[in-house]
Amino acid sequence: MVGIVIASHSRKVAEGIYDLATQMTGSNHSIVQAGGMDDGSIGTDAILIQQAILSADQGEGVVIIADLGSAVLSTQTAMELLENETIKVVIADGPILEGTIAAAVQASIGATLDEVVEAVESARDVLKLI
Amino acid sequence: MKQGTFKLKNRLGIHARPAAEIVKMSSKYNCKVVFEANGKKAEAKSVLMLIAIGAKKDTEVFLSIEGKDEQLLFEELAEYINKGFYED
Repeated sequence: MVGIVIASHSRKVAEGIYDLATQMTGSNHSIVQAGGMDDGSIGTDAILIQQAILSADQGEGVVIIADLGSAVLSTQTAMELLENETIKVVIADGPILEGTIAAAVQASIGATLDEVVEAVESARDVLKLI
Repeated sequence: MKQGTFKLKNRLGIHARPAAEIVKMSSKYNCKVVFEANGKKAEAKSVLMLIAIGAKKDTEVFLSIEGKDEQLLFEELAEYINKGFYED
C-alpha cells in the first residue's frame, strides 16, 4: 500500500487529519502524521518528517501532503536526508485535509503512487457549496 | 444502465465513513457510478465529491451505474443504502 505522510506546522492539525482519515480507512492504512516540532510547538521538523516517511513506507512509495509553504521546504530537506534509501517519495500539491482524505481512501483500495497523488490534486477542485 | 432512487435512512446520510465505503465497494467493479442529490452529482470514485453532495437523512438520492457488472454493483449499493449504511 502507498504510504501517506501528513506534514503540518501543527501537531494537533496533523493528528486531527490523521483521525479523520483513519476513521474512513479503518485499520487498513499506512498513514503517519508529522506535525509540529519535536517539543510540540508550531513549526515543521525535517527529521520528524524523515522518520514519518520511513515509517509510512511499505515498499510502494510515500505521498506527502503539506499545509503551508515552509512545510514543503522541510519535506524537501527530509527527502534529501533519505537520498540513500530507495523509497520513492512525492510531495502532492493539494489542500492538506481534503487531500489526505482523498489520498487515504484511494491508498486503502490499492491505488498506485500516481493515483494517490492524483487524488490529492483532485481535492483542489472539489467545491463544497454551489 | 441500472438506475434507482433511494431515500436515505441514517441521520448523517452520506458522510465520511459511508462515502469511503461507497468508493471501496465501487472500486471492485469496472463501472461508471454516479450519485445525484440536492442538485449535485458525484462520481463514486471520488470520496470528496460524494461527501460534497450533502445527502442527509430523508434526502432522495439518484444512483446510476453503467458497466459490465452494473447489476451486481447496483444490488450491493442498494442494500448498503437501504440498510442505512449500517448506522443508527
